[in-house]
Amino acid sequence: MQLVEKIIKGERAAIAKAITLVESSRENDKKESRKLISELLNKPGKSIRVGFSGPPGVGKSTFIESFGRYLVEKNYKLGILAIDPSSQITGGSILGDKTRMIEISKNPNTFIRSTPSRGSLGGISVGTREASIILDAAGYDFIFIETVGVGQSETMATNLVDIFSLIVGPGSGDELQGIKKGITEYADIFIVNKNDGDLKSEASKTASDYKSAISYYKKSNDTADKEVLLVSAIEQTGMEKVIETIQNIVSQNKKNKNFDERRAKQFTYWIEEEVREIIQFNIQKKIKADGSISQLSQKVMDGKIQMFEAIEAITQNLQNK
Amino acid sequence: MKTKNSDNYTKWQKSFERETKIDLNEASSETDEGIEIKPVYTKADIENLSFVDNDSLPGQLPYTRGPKASMYTNRPWTIRQYAGFSTAEESNDFYKKNLKSGQKGLSVAFDLPTHRGYDSDDDLVMGDVGKAGVAIDTVEDMKILFNDIPLDQMSVSMTMNGAVLPVLSSFIVAGEEQNVNKNLLSGTIQNDILKEFMVRNTYIYPPDPSMKIVADIIEFTSKEMPKFNSISISGYHMQEAGADNVLELAYTLADGMEYVRAALSKGLDIDDFAPRLSFFFAIGTDFFMEIAKLRAARTLWYKIMKDFGAKNEKSLILRTHCQTSGVSLTEKDPYNNIIRTSYEALSAILGGTQSLHTNSFDEAIALPTDESARIARNTQLILQNETGVTNTVDPLAGSYFIESLTDELSKKAWEIIEEIESLGGMTKAVKAGVPKLKIEESATKKQAKVDSGSRVVVGVNKFKNPKEPKVDVRVIDNNRVRDDQIKKINDIKASRDQKAVDESLAKLVTAAKEDSNLLARSIDAIKNRATVGEVSKALEQVYGRHFATSLSVSGVYGKHFEGDEDFMNVTKKVNIFEEANGRRPRVLVVKMGQDGHDRGAKIVATSFADMGFDVDMGPLFQSPKDVAKDAIENDVHAIGVSTLAAGHKTLVPELMKSLKEIDPKSKIIVFVGGVIPEQDYDFLYENNISAIFGPGSNIIESAEKVIDLISDKIHKHN
Repeated sequence: MQLVEKIIKGERAAIAKAITLVESSRENDKKESRKLISELLNKPGKSIRVGFSGPPGVGKSTFIESFGRYLVEKNYKLGILAIDPSSQITGGSILGDKTRMIEISKNPNTFIRSTPSRGSLGGISVGTREASIILDAAGYDFIFIETVGVGQSETMATNLVDIFSLIVGPGSGDELQGIKKGITEYADIFIVNKNDGDLKSEASKTASDYKSAISYYKKSNDTADKEVLLVSAIEQTGMEKVIETIQNIVSQNKKNKNFDERRAKQFTYWIEEEVREIIQFNIQKKIKADGSISQLSQKVMDGKIQMFEAIEAITQNLQNK
Repeated sequence: MKTKNSDNYTKWQKSFERETKIDLNEASSETDEGIEIKPVYTKADIENLSFVDNDSLPGQLPYTRGPKASMYTNRPWTIRQYAGFSTAEESNDFYKKNLKSGQKGLSVAFDLPTHRGYDSDDDLVMGDVGKAGVAIDTVEDMKILFNDIPLDQMSVSMTMNGAVLPVLSSFIVAGEEQNVNKNLLSGTIQNDILKEFMVRNTYIYPPDPSMKIVADIIEFTSKEMPKFNSISISGYHMQEAGADNVLELAYTLADGMEYVRAALSKGLDIDDFAPRLSFFFAIGTDFFMEIAKLRAARTLWYKIMKDFGAKNEKSLILRTHCQTSGVSLTEKDPYNNIIRTSYEALSAILGGTQSLHTNSFDEAIALPTDESARIARNTQLILQNETGVTNTVDPLAGSYFIESLTDELSKKAWEIIEEIESLGGMTKAVKAGVPKLKIEESATKKQAKVDSGSRVVVGVNKFKNPKEPKVDVRVIDNNRVRDDQIKKINDIKASRDQKAVDESLAKLVTAAKEDSNLLARSIDAIKNRATVGEVSKALEQVYGRHFATSLSVSGVYGKHFEGDEDFMNVTKKVNIFEEANGRRPRVLVVKMGQDGHDRGAKIVATSFADMGFDVDMGPLFQSPKDVAKDAIENDVHAIGVSTLAAGHKTLVPELMKSLKEIDPKSKIIVFVGGVIPEQDYDFLYENNISAIFGPGSNIIESAEKVIDLISDKIHKHN
């Protein structure tokens, strides 16, 4: 397949088209996409996938700009997948993350793709995993996945990335009480941004709140330590520590096999998800082709049969097809 | 007890309802500001006003009726036309012609590279040199600009905010080398950086160091330049960007408060600098509202300055320059703009402005020609000489409607001022992006009203001219201007004392680190022939360059079109497109070069998203190469280029080239919107531009055209 070669050669337009393909909702594209991905999986790269999540306004994109600048200066190749929420009403979206990634977006060693979430659960859009496989095959050293909101931490951390980091702002320690458990479980790194100017002391305080919060977490011997880091995206301070921490966690997890186990689990989950989607799609098709739902619900409304009888009958009917 | 008044009112109400067949309670209209406008006002409407004092006279506190007792009866307002283009030589010619024809003060427009602190030879500014203003690279350019214009007699206003240090320094040194001491220089420097962060985007440094520079200039001028206005606190650009009058008024005054605090923090006494603070407002087409705005502005500023503890009467008085609204001008049926500008000018006069710029009718398309500039100037000369408006001070005082509206505006603006204060002042509010977002929301609402036809714009969405007139426009050959400027820069760099330049720039850097006054140090550097770009870059070493983060409104546009057929038609097309293509139509909306006017781009982005498009927003100040990379990585179907500063002839072909360089088979279509003279259309089409949308284009129609063009392109290749 020509596209595969182009991707491996790192051709920008080919990578972009491939991502469009894996994001497409068209049935034909889905088939093509599966073929493409299975070929690319045979040619894995060496990327580390890092997730960045956090509430709106904490400066995620600004942090990625700042950290990214630090990395490309060190000659790393950086792929970024930024997921923006789509409007629930119109389905359209404004993809504005790149307005905050000014310097790195110019750099030839970056590839930055924004994707509308299209209302998919967890804010992870359809195709994000596949897109990261494409960027991996294309030779990017790091793949950053950025999403809005904390609610999706679990999905992202367990399904998509090797390291999951949560970006928070000064003062957010107060909110910790309620969400302590989930966060301490899923995040590998806590990045307290805006450690600058007037906010410095507040940022330090927030960092110690997080430190004490993760100390509650029962530490097992075979996982890398969770870290809390102070950075300023605007002043570009603390970046060295971030990359150091990422590399430490990766090497520690690789040593104790955690790294591979995590990826293996993600594969299992992925297979399960795909199977579920295919079955769901088939059922949907059957439901569409089968007129019994509307017929039977009319009968329910007319009081001819009980609702649960109808459901039973429809299910039987679909299973037998 | 019934009074005669209430009997009369009841009678009037009956007649009104009989004539209109509308219940009086339903007969009011609502302005953009959310102010209710009633069909009739009575004495009751001016009793118990909160801010306005009905017994006050002109020149008396709270100065609602004017800063001076005699106003235009003694001396009419200053006709001050804003102009500048191409090289200093050409602008100087233009100024001298205008002064001969009755203009009284000068107002200099600089080009975008100068605003952003880049020399004309910088690669980043290729398309922008000499385009929307005059290019100034060194003090030599400034000297040419004022050649044969004695600076001890001419008051000069300079619209400069970002590169305020090197440009004001050049002005001071140019004066010195004309043998005019700086204490004799009169005029105004805009020096209003806060609104740049909100709307105009010609900042260089982050908000905090930028505020320090503002304060340095206030400090220096208050001591050394007693006749010079250290700042022109500007609401103009807010209204241009779509702010309603309450937002314009409130944010401008809140900016003013922040500058006062910045100057006070330098240890200055308020009465040492406050008399030299001046203001600048836009005058749009809402006739009475604009009059009320100027009256309200003076009323509120008096209150604000009294609260700051000012004692000198001059500190308490708001003096303002006004300019008719550029955004109210239309590309369609352009001679209508002369009429619009005339009414706006009359508003400004009835509101009591101190000086006025009237726009030329062709400014929705290009920079004014000599002829259109003459008509614009004559608009004011006719008002001054033929209409009798100068014979009576504040002639609308006592009007139930005007007084009540003045008070209402004051109240609404005061609420917003208090809101900004509660956020910790405007610098903090600007950093949080609050005012920018509010202005964009207001802009989007206005656009939706025009596109839906609920607001009539003559010649645009109603009463269209079946035979659009052809208008000749001024053409700037920016490659020639750029070559001229580069040659001048090279000559100066070859002949100057490089050691002296380096030393004075090093001292400037030290001053920035030590937090001492930067204007004095940049005057030294400029005197040694350092360039505008070198001075700006020296400070950039210490402060860094600021990049704005950009938030976007959503849903505001679409809300106006619930159930609208044309709107639904486009959303339907979008859905069909998605079914067929597996994704929504995806459009990258960008600005290129140094043009930071992003109102148009933002409105297009938010309204297209409301119609169901996926819209990528690029950062400001991108090069064509950056845009191409962005477009290809995100595999967009189309790029929409918003251009208002005439850079399109250089930048658009460059973009087409860059796209093909990255992807020779690129199918991305490119459309252009903004201020584009018709003369350039063919050139753009020859460069494979798919569509051009001029000012006043209906966004729903534009969106439909874009989706059709995208679909065509896809079909052709399948």
